[in-house]
Parts: sequence; C-alpha cells; structure tokens
Amino acid sequence: MASVTVRDLHKKFGETHILKGVSIEVPRGKFAVLVGPSGCGKSTLLRLLAGLEEATAGTIHFDDRDVTSLAPRERDIAMVFQSYALYPHLSVRENMAFGLKLRKTEPAEIERRVKQASAMLGLDHLLDRLPKQLSGGQRQRVAMGRAIVRRPSLFLFDEPLSNLDAALRSQVRVEIRKVHDELEATSVYVTHDQVEAMTLADVIFVLNKGVVEQAGHPLDVYARPATRFVASFLGSPSMNFIDVELARDGGGWVAAGKDELRVTFDAKGFEKGLVAGKQVTLGVRPHEVELFSKSATYRTTNERGAPLTVSIVEALGTESFAHGKLGGASFVARLDAAAQIKKGETVELAFKTVHLFDRETGQSLRDEA
Amino acid sequence: MLSVPRNTPFIKKVWLWAVTFFIATFVYPTLVYANPIRLWHAYRGDEEKALLEIIKTFPGGKIETLALPADALDSKLASASLVGEGPDVFIAEHHHLGEYKARSIVGKVGDAFEGEGAFIVPAVRAVTDGDGVWGVPLSPKCMALFVNDDLAKTPADFEAIGELTGKLPQGVFPLVYEARNLYAHAPIFGAFGGELLGKNDQWSFIGTEAETSLNLARTFIAKGAVPDDANYNILKELFKAGKAAFVISGPWLAADLSDAKDLRYHIEVLPNIRGAGQPMRPLLTVESAMLTKQGAEKPEARALAKWLASREAAQVRARLAKTLTARSDVSIADGDPMLRVFSEQAKVAIPMPASRAMQAVWDPANRAISKVIRGEAPPDVALAEAKRRYDTVRRPPPDAASPTPFLIVIGGILLVLVLYWVRGAKKGDFTGEVKRSLPAYAYVIHSVVAVGLLVIAPLTVGAATAFFSGNLFGDTSSRRFVGLANFIDILTAQGGALLTTGSFYVVLLVTLLWTFLNLFFHVTIGVSLALLLSKPALKLKAFYRVLLIVPWAVPSYITALVWKGMFDRQFGAVTGLILGLNDLFGFHMEPISWFARFSTAFTANVSTNVWLGFPVMMVVTLGALTAVPQDVLEAAEVDGATRWQRLWRVTLPMIRPTLAPSVTLGGIWTFNMFNVVFLVSGGDPDGTTDILVSEAYRWAFTREAKYGYAAAYSVLIFLMLFGFTRWDEWRKKRADDRDRAVRAKEAAA
Ligand SMILES: Nc1ncnc2c1ncn2[C@@H]1O[C@H](COP(=O)(O)OP(=O)(O)OP(=O)(O)O)[C@@H](O)[C@H]1O
Ligand SMILES: [Mg+2]
Repeated sequence: MASVTVRDLHKKFGETHILKGVSIEVPRGKFAVLVGPSGCGKSTLLRLLAGLEEATAGTIHFDDRDVTSLAPRERDIAMVFQSYALYPHLSVRENMAFGLKLRKTEPAEIERRVKQASAMLGLDHLLDRLPKQLSGGQRQRVAMGRAIVRRPSLFLFDEPLSNLDAALRSQVRVEIRKVHDELEATSVYVTHDQVEAMTLADVIFVLNKGVVEQAGHPLDVYARPATRFVASFLGSPSMNFIDVELARDGGGWVAAGKDELRVTFDAKGFEKGLVAGKQVTLGVRPHEVELFSKSATYRTTNERGAPLTVSIVEALGTESFAHGKLGGASFVARLDAAAQIKKGETVELAFKTVHLFDRETGQSLRDEA
Repeated sequence: MLSVPRNTPFIKKVWLWAVTFFIATFVYPTLVYANPIRLWHAYRGDEEKALLEIIKTFPGGKIETLALPADALDSKLASASLVGEGPDVFIAEHHHLGEYKARSIVGKVGDAFEGEGAFIVPAVRAVTDGDGVWGVPLSPKCMALFVNDDLAKTPADFEAIGELTGKLPQGVFPLVYEARNLYAHAPIFGAFGGELLGKNDQWSFIGTEAETSLNLARTFIAKGAVPDDANYNILKELFKAGKAAFVISGPWLAADLSDAKDLRYHIEVLPNIRGAGQPMRPLLTVESAMLTKQGAEKPEARALAKWLASREAAQVRARLAKTLTARSDVSIADGDPMLRVFSEQAKVAIPMPASRAMQAVWDPANRAISKVIRGEAPPDVALAEAKRRYDTVRRPPPDAASPTPFLIVIGGILLVLVLYWVRGAKKGDFTGEVKRSLPAYAYVIHSVVAVGLLVIAPLTVGAATAFFSGNLFGDTSSRRFVGLANFIDILTAQGGALLTTGSFYVVLLVTLLWTFLNLFFHVTIGVSLALLLSKPALKLKAFYRVLLIVPWAVPSYITALVWKGMFDRQFGAVTGLILGLNDLFGFHMEPISWFARFSTAFTANVSTNVWLGFPVMMVVTLGALTAVPQDVLEAAEVDGATRWQRLWRVTLPMIRPTLAPSVTLGGIWTFNMFNVVFLVSGGDPDGTTDILVSEAYRWAFTREAKYGYAAAYSVLIFLMLFGFTRWDEWRKKRADDRDRAVRAKEAAA
C-alpha cells in the first residue's frame, strides 16, 4: 500500500485549463473520495493518477516515489472504470488473470488469487462466462475482481456504481467498503453520489472548477463546510441560503433579513468574522430546523421563530419537506410528519445550527477549527 | 393510308386501330425490306469505306451491312445462326473455316468462286479442302521483312542478319520478331519444309525440321541478335526508335508506322535461310467472303460474294484502303511498292491450316518455343512435351455412358423429396396453411423467379454440362452424355502422373498456395495500415485514407495490365528501378525475366493481387477498430500491457470477429481470382502459375472448347468452396454450442 501525494497539479487540454493547482494527500490504506459537479475535473485527476494523462505541471508521489511521468504499468495501480471496460473476448477468469499473466505470475498463484477474489465477490460460478453473458452488477464485480487480484498499491475507481440501479448500488457500495477494509488498500474513488461519498470516505475532497475547495473527514466537511459551494454541494436537499445583515444584539449577534427575519445566534466559533452591518449569507440545512416552541431553548435563541410560508409539502411518511419562502429566499425545511403541515400555512421555525458565508467570496465566517 | 371513318361504333374503331397498328409495325416493314442480302464484316476506317463503295456498284439487289468488332464476329455468327438471324454473306479470315464448318455455319460457295485461275495459288489452297471451296478469297495477309534504311541493307540471307551482331550501334538489335510466338516462328520452320498439321490433324511441329528451326532461333537469341521476349508492342517501339535493323511483321505494322516521320524504312520479301537453301515461308491468312448455309442457297448472295472478290472490287480496295488482293489477274500500281512486296511474299507463303485442330496447336507450340529459346529445354524434349499436350487436348471424347444410373439416382432423390412433401401435406390442415400463406408468396415470388432464372438455372445448366462432352448448344451433333468420365479424367490426371505440371492436383496446390499467400499479405498489410491510420496523432489522415483506397477503386484488369507492364523485362518499371540502382550504386544486377520462372512469375502475380486486395482489408479493419472502445485499451494499459501486448492481446482479438467474414470471403475471391492470373502471368511459365479457374478457362476457351471438361473443373471448384464454407460454419456453430453448453451447465448447478 502506498500513500498518495499530489502537489500543485495542473492539467490543460490545449488552451482549456482543467486542473488549476490541485493538491491532495491520501494516507496509506485510506479511502479517499473525490466529489464535485460534472465537468470539474474529477476523472481527469484520476486519470492523471493512473498515468493515462500527462500532467501539465505539478507532481504526483506514491510514498516517496515520484511517478509523475511514469507509464501506467510502472505505477502499480488498478483502476475500475465507469463502463467496467472488461475485455469482451476473454472469460471472467481470463479477464481477472490478464494483468497477472502480463506480469508473468506463476499459473498456480494466478489461479489462487482468482479463486480468492471470485469467492470474495461471489463470482465463482461465473468464471467461464464471457462479459456479454453477465448482468450489469456482475460485470461491475468482475471489474472489481480484476483490480483486486492485482494487489496494487493503489486502487482507482471512476464512478463504478453509476450504471447500477439504486438497490444494487447500495449493496455493492457496502461490498466495496468491505473489500477495502479487508485489503487495507489505498483507494481513490470518484463519485457524484453524496451517499457514496459520505459512507465510503475516510477523507473527502470536494473539487470545483479545477481546484480543491475543501478536504477532510466527510462528517467534518458536512458539519463545517468551508465555502458556500461545499455547503450547497453536500447534503440533500441542499442547504438553504438567505441574504442577511449582521447586527449586535446586546452580548450576542443577530442576523436580520427580509420579511422581518431576525435570527439571534450564538457567536461561539465565529468570533473573528463577525462585523456589525456586514452583508452576509445565512446558511441553514433543511435538516437543522424544527418547529418553534416557546418552551424549548435553542442555541439560536429568539423570542419568536422565523416565519416560513409553505407553498408545497412533500410527505415521505416519517418526514415531510415543506417548501416555501423565508426571509425573501426560497427555503426547504424537514419536519416531522406528525406536525401535519398544510399548504398555505405559515409556520415558525427554529434553527438548530446556522452557517455564515461571506457574500462576496463565499468563504465561511466560521473560525478555523 | 388508312383513315378512320367517323361515326363508327366504338368497338369497330378499336378494331380498326388494332389492325392499322399491326400492319404498321409488322407487315409493312417486311414488305418494304423484303429479303435484302445481309452482309456482316469487321472492317473499320478505310477498309469499311472501300467495302461500301464496292457494294454501291453491286447490280444484284439490296444489301444490308452490319459492322461488328472483330472479336465479336465469331460468337455473333454462332448465336445468330442458331435462330436463323444470321447473315447471308460474311467476311472472315480463312483459318476459321474449320470451326465454322464444325458448327455448320458456312456453306460451299459454289458459283461465287470464279475458278482457280483467278486467284493466287496459296489463297485457293487456303479456302479449299477435300470437300470443295468454302470461301471466296479476297485479300491475303502475311509477314514480310521491314528494313531500317539507316541501319542496314538487304541481307544476303537470314543468317547474315545474325552476323550483324556487334556491328551495329550500341543497343540496336539486328533483328526483332515475336520470337516466342509460333506465328512468327513459322517462316523459319516453313523454310525447312515443315508443316504445322499433318493430313489427319496430327501434330507435326516435331522432328528434324522443327528442331533445326528452333536451334536456329535459339542461336540468334543466344548471341543477342534477337530479344527473347518481344511482343508486338515492343517490336513496334524498337523499330520506331531505330533500335532494330530488321523486323519481321505484317502489313498492320506499316499502318502503325505512319506516324513515325523520321523513320526511313522499306519492306522486302523474307530472305532465304542458308541452312535450308529455301526462302522463309510465312503463314498466310486469307480474308475471304463466306456464305452461311442459308446464304449459299440464295443466288443473289452468291452473286454478292463473287462481286466482292471481283477485279473491280480489288481495284477499289487497293485504291481506297491499300488492301492487297488475292486475285492473280490484277496488276499492282507501280506507286505502291509495299503492296507489291506483300503480294510477292504471299505467293510463297503457306496457308494457315484451317482445321479446327489448329486451335489446339498454338498454346503447346508457343510454350515449347519459349522453353527452347530461353534454353530451358532442348528442342526434342520441348517438342515431345508439346505433342503430348496437344494429344491430351485432342484426345477423343470419352465414351458415351448410359444415363440410366444417373436418371435412377436423380429420380430416387426426387421421389424421396416428393414423398417427404406428400407426408407433410397429409399432416394437419395443409391446404388451409397454404391458402393462408398465399399472400406471403405473393411478396417473394418475383425474387424467387429472378434468383431462379439468374442464379439457379445457369448454375444447374453449368453443372449439368460437366456430365457431357461436345457442344451442348447450337450444333449438338457431337454432344453425348459421358457420366462421370470428365471428373474421373481430371482426378486421375488423364491416367498420367498425378503430380505433373498442369495436373489437377498440382494446380490445386498452386491455387492453395496462391490463396494463402494473398490472404496473409492482405490481412497483414491491411491491418497494419489501418492501425497506422487510426492513430489519432496522424496528420493528413483523410488524405492517406483516400490514397490507400485507390488501388481498390481502379478496375482490377487495368491494374493487372499496369503491373504486367511494370514487370516487363525490357521496358518495365522494375527493370528501370534495377538499372537505376545499378547506375547509382554501381551494382551489377541483371534485369529479371519475371515470367520465365515459376518463383518470379508467381511473385509478380501475388504482388499484383496483394496490391489489389489490401485496401478491402484496410477498410474493414478501420471499421472494426472503431468498435474497440478506448477504455478497454486503457484498462489493458493500467493492467500493465505494453503497446505491443495491447495490440496482440486486446485489439486484434477484438476485431477478429468482424474481420473473419471478410477473410473467408476474401479467401473465396482469391481462390477464384481469374483476372490477375490471366492478365499478369497468363499462366507463364508453361502454365505453372495457373490456378484452378484459369485452368478451367483454358479448357473451355483455348483447348478445343472442351466445355464439359471445363464445367467439371468448375463443379470441383464449387464443391471445394462449398465444402470450405460449410466447414467454416460448422466450426463456428460448434464453438457456439460449446458456449451454450457451458451456460446450461451453470444454470443447472
Ligand atoms: N481529452 C480531452 N480533451 C479536451 N477536454 C477534455 C478532455 N477530457 C476532458 N476534458 C474536459 O475536461 C473537463 C473535466 O472533465 P472530467 O472528465 O475530468 O470531468 P468529471 O469531473 O469527471 O465530470 P463527470 O462527473 O461528468 O464525469 C471537462 O470540461 C471536459 O470537457
Ligand atoms: Mg468523470
């Protein structure tokens, strides 16, 4: 297993600058996930790690080894492609053995590893089939198997689950994590999918427009997004953003917005960034609200709740999503189904946590942790 | 004319129109053009003008002329006389008479022939045989000696020409003639008193005279007095360029020299041969007016034939077309020395045998001459072999076999089929089913009929021919059923050694080698080029692609002829290249006689066909390559495959299924690639580079029209290819079955 260190990596395709100085660090044996919107350069970064593209500038190290200009086969990596890219003319067994054969591994050893991997992935009974005789999920597992038997120092995954249906996806997701834990292999995994990102990652890198916006443990990143972009990208439904102005309120702070919105909040953790009269963006996740109740005490204290005029209610059984307007912006709130909110009602909400972002730069006002 | 009266009832009007139409289209023309005399000929230019002039003054009635291309006249005559649409009179060279007689096309000329005194002796001999006179001689043609006045004077004799060797400017041949051709060799043979055919059509280009004549030719070649591979074009170009002191050729050369203004030459009668003490005697062909069977019975047609050969006509021809006459009583104008020389020459010429057997003489004789002058075999051996070949071709047809066993077998098969069908019909609601599927039949009936007529019927007739000997159509008097005799003959090499040149097995081996080598190069070159062209980094890709498809776009016979030209020993590009290299690097490579040895001739054929064939493979591969996904190649790269391993272990196996049908098809095409073999090497040397189809062609068209034999060859070819495709299918199916079995086993587990 190897650690991965990428320093100030640039990639241009002709005149288009795709990666603009990416630095990431994946410790040995960790599972790193790259997320970001479509076209932000995730696959490009992965292909650079694989050696399928050439870096325009910057370096890539596996442990202490500079691999920046090495060919893929000199890097000791394995990659699982979104399309699986199985060899259509080879049986499952031969697909898995291909890389080992090229490396002149002993036939007995090849056989042993293929057996082991296929047992791990439940492919034993499919070994003599051709890829065209397999279902999508089976193909995906063969692609995994082909990577596993190689025992590489680094696994690369490019959206390996995106061609599977939802049920299969969650099942294979668990398998992938299991395999990773078993092999303790360093992995870099590209995905669009929030759930995959949150559940699989030891460390997550949020990419946007060719730069890393934030890196860290997924829960940390979720709880303390460093930028408005990260905040909006992680979490579903997405975080609500409301334009507000900061003001002092006795010992505390208040964020005041349109429609008589006044949110008092605990300044702890925000000490440096708060300036009275500053125009900022208030961020509230749909999951971080509840119905205001006079009797309860909140970290964001207020004598009355923030009024949400509900225009649509999506009832999902145990929970409901109330869509409406709050503080002049559209707003989604997750509420208990028991609350029985109706269309047209105005409800008062209490915010359990608030996020504040600089209106211009989008940077979080939170103090560094 | 007829007019339609008004106020007639409608029905009557229709009737009237119908009758008018009938008369106008069918009756009227026949009345007006009642029985004109039909005259077919192959003249063009001045000769045609002369003919029309002659006809204009013919007193005996209306004439309808039809000009045909020279090589179409024969076949058109044969087919038209079948349906009674043939001409009454036609003009052709006398040596076809044997063929025409055998096919019952010609009749005796009777009173169209003015009498022996009116024509020169050889001309009369040419059109006469034991039965009578079969044509009216019009114009004799033979070869004479062309002398370049700047290089030489009248030679004392033939040998004196050879003695000029080394005394002429660098690069000038003392003599050029088509040394490998019997027609051009015949004057030498004739001087020694030889005849080409014996009394009963037996081979007589053998024995002391023949050997002496060949030895003489060989000495000329050996000392470089004569180029060994001149054809008519080479001869013409050498003479025009002043590179030949003498050439032996016919009046057609004089016509072709008209544009060589600087060339000073004259024509002379061929000299004596010292060793024989006799003049050289060229072969004489006599253009004659012939009468078809129907024409021979019409007095006015006979009158026309007589008129065409008349004194007046001869004068018109001499005036307008400078044509020599076969008449003995027409003096040649003093102003035309050329006509006078040819007329003198004709008097000592030997008429070309008109017998049908002559067709079988050319090929073996030419081969024997080639062998001797190239020093590959002594004359006696080469001539004995030629005689053997001739005898093989002239063998009497196999004995008639009783068709009964065949009819029984075929009848049995039909019976089984009928029984099978009847049983099917009995089961269930057969008529109902037929009725229900009638509309479906309506949709396919036209294509069934078309395929039946255009594919199945000819195939069946062709295959059936293999069981007969003689003419299947036209004059069928020689036709007889011979059962499997043709096949047995082929498969037992006519009782000779199984592995001699030209035996079925040797030709099959050559064909297989030919097919294999071609396919190998088609695939390797095609695939390599496709791989290069599919490189994304390649600039000007579209341009190269078009360029590489060009060999395919040019009609193959043109390419074949161009390549044959390139391999020419004297003037070919390859020789040019060799000479160029010699000049540049001081090498001493000899120009190669490509068609003198099997290995080089075969190489020339293969190169030509490879050139023709690789573009298809390239295009197919280019298509197949687009189906190889980039990410699979990248997966292999990540898996550790080098560029080479990616090619061998991923790309090639992946395009194989797409390529396989093209390879199979290409194999079949190559197996039957007649054009290239026929046009480039033409089987040279000595028939060794012939493949099965070209061999079949030779049996049908150059060896006495042995159609049954040729058809048997074709049937064998068909069976082999059919067997091959079946085997290919079976192999694929077996692989599929195995596949399915694997899955079934898993499903069960
Ligand atoms: N070979 C190439 N030539 C030119 N531009 C390219 C090339 N490959 C990728 N790009 C561009 O680089 C950008 C990033 O592509 P990349 O495939 O890395 O996106 P991604 O983050 O993987 O997106 P997705 O989530 O949709 O897969 C895109 O705008 C794409 O158009
Ligand atoms: Mg991608």
